[in-house]
Amino acid sequence: MSSGIVDFLKRVVLRGENPLADNYRENRLRPPGAVSEERFIALCIRCNRCLEVCPYGSIKRAGLGPEIGTPYVLPEEKACYLCMACPRLCPTGALETGLSNPERVRMGRARINTSLCYSHLFLEHDKVPDATGSKIGALCNTCYNVCPHQDKAIKLEQNLFPVVLDDCVGCGICVERCPVRPARAINVIPAGMGRVDEAGFHFGKARRHFERASAAEAEGKALKGEQLLDRKYRIDGSRDVPEFKAPFKVPETLEGW
Amino acid sequence: MYTPYRRAAQLIVLALMFLVPVLNVHEIYAVTGTFYAINIGRLGIADPVVILQAVFAAGELTARLGAAAVFPVFLALMLGRVWCGWMCPYHLLSDWAVWIRRKFRALVRGKTEVEPLPVRKAFSANMSRYGFLLLGTAVAGAIGIPVLNYLSAPGILSTEAMILVKSRHLSIEFGFIGIIWLLELTLLPRFWCRMFCPTGAFLGLFRGPFTLRINPGSVSPRNPCCKENHCSAACPMGLAPYREGHDLLCTNCGRCVDACAHGRLRFAGFKGTDARGRTRQEQRS
Repeated sequence: MSSGIVDFLKRVVLRGENPLADNYRENRLRPPGAVSEERFIALCIRCNRCLEVCPYGSIKRAGLGPEIGTPYVLPEEKACYLCMACPRLCPTGALETGLSNPERVRMGRARINTSLCYSHLFLEHDKVPDATGSKIGALCNTCYNVCPHQDKAIKLEQNLFPVVLDDCVGCGICVERCPVRPARAINVIPAGMGRVDEAGFHFGKARRHFERASAAEAEGKALKGEQLLDRKYRIDGSRDVPEFKAPFKVPETLEGW
Repeated sequence: MYTPYRRAAQLIVLALMFLVPVLNVHEIYAVTGTFYAINIGRLGIADPVVILQAVFAAGELTARLGAAAVFPVFLALMLGRVWCGWMCPYHLLSDWAVWIRRKFRALVRGKTEVEPLPVRKAFSANMSRYGFLLLGTAVAGAIGIPVLNYLSAPGILSTEAMILVKSRHLSIEFGFIGIIWLLELTLLPRFWCRMFCPTGAFLGLFRGPFTLRINPGSVSPRNPCCKENHCSAACPMGLAPYREGHDLLCTNCGRCVDACAHGRLRFAGFKGTDARGRTRQEQRS
């Protein structure tokens, strides 16, 4: 604690660094076309035009803190689908206004955590590694399948496991769809925000989201929207079959067979 | 005479504040944005204070930034601070707070005379406003964060309206509106618009001899012409309209024009009269 304060004073007094400049370097994805973080903070007037125009509701508004009111994308909840509606509307140029080619976006770069990724686990163990069935190694490759910039941003090495390439735009669709819970096996490291080592930074937030969803499920409440979608994604034939409330009988025999 | 039109304009702006995000949700993008920055068709408009800060914080003035401030500055040059008096949603809230105060005083304490505003002198109020604007711009330039945006009442109100429509909640900034409104209700009526609002202060700077203003006609008295001093009592900015129509605080709301029993006050300037109400011919002679 004290060393932190000493460090802070050293940086401000001896090296003459701006004490507030680093506070807003939180690991959040800025909307597509964002200029470097420092200029973004200066130019962004918090008018929320990007948030207003986003047809997917991907852009969120930062809460209390030095960057309050600025837009960000949290791919665990909703990734950016690169419709490129927001840069065009930015009144100050905090988002590069001429940018319309989604391939030129650099929001960040995805990174795969190989100790969590099902495909990588499968490659390592070549079988189901966990007796409880909670860690199934599988040829999942969801990230590869959902990537809008397939084979350029991400490729399947030996047709077995995904590898992120340099053309990754950082939209976060892979993060949104990654089936690994509560922490995702793939995370986007935002561009120009430092702390590269802290990929998976929203773990806490994602876990809360996950816990909220599972709490609602445990109470037997009807799930809605994102949570219901999340539940549907996690339906897995290798485990218990979920109970459906709609009257549906599994046919004993199939006609014509 | 002017009051019903002014109220109508204020209420229309208030309704549009909610209607625009509703239309945007239904993918009708004729008008988009908030009072920080708004697009009407292809006309891009931004709060000039917002632009001022962005210029200082980013250290550059681009054509895009400058162009966004042109329309509000033009409007202020032509019609004075009509944004404040006739459109600003916070001004409406402020009117409401004063109305509640007046009812309370009349009903509970039995006082019917007009209460004085805090910081009576227009000069002191102006100094406070421009000091605040300068300080905010300097801080924005120093730390690279447009701090005055967090204190822009109309901007926050319209942003909250948009968030309310889009995601059915309010964000923390609404607390700021709540605090200043409660302060106006309890202790300091009208203090925000008169002593702090950076947008109003900056818009007030754009004035020319042709700008619309309140004018007492050819006579420009030093003392109020009637004993009751109707116009000063009516002025929401605490001015004495019979001699201070040119003041930077004046929002051209027209309340003094309505209040004057003799019909002496009128809008002037726009029709080719100068600050003292003389026409062009009179100026030449």
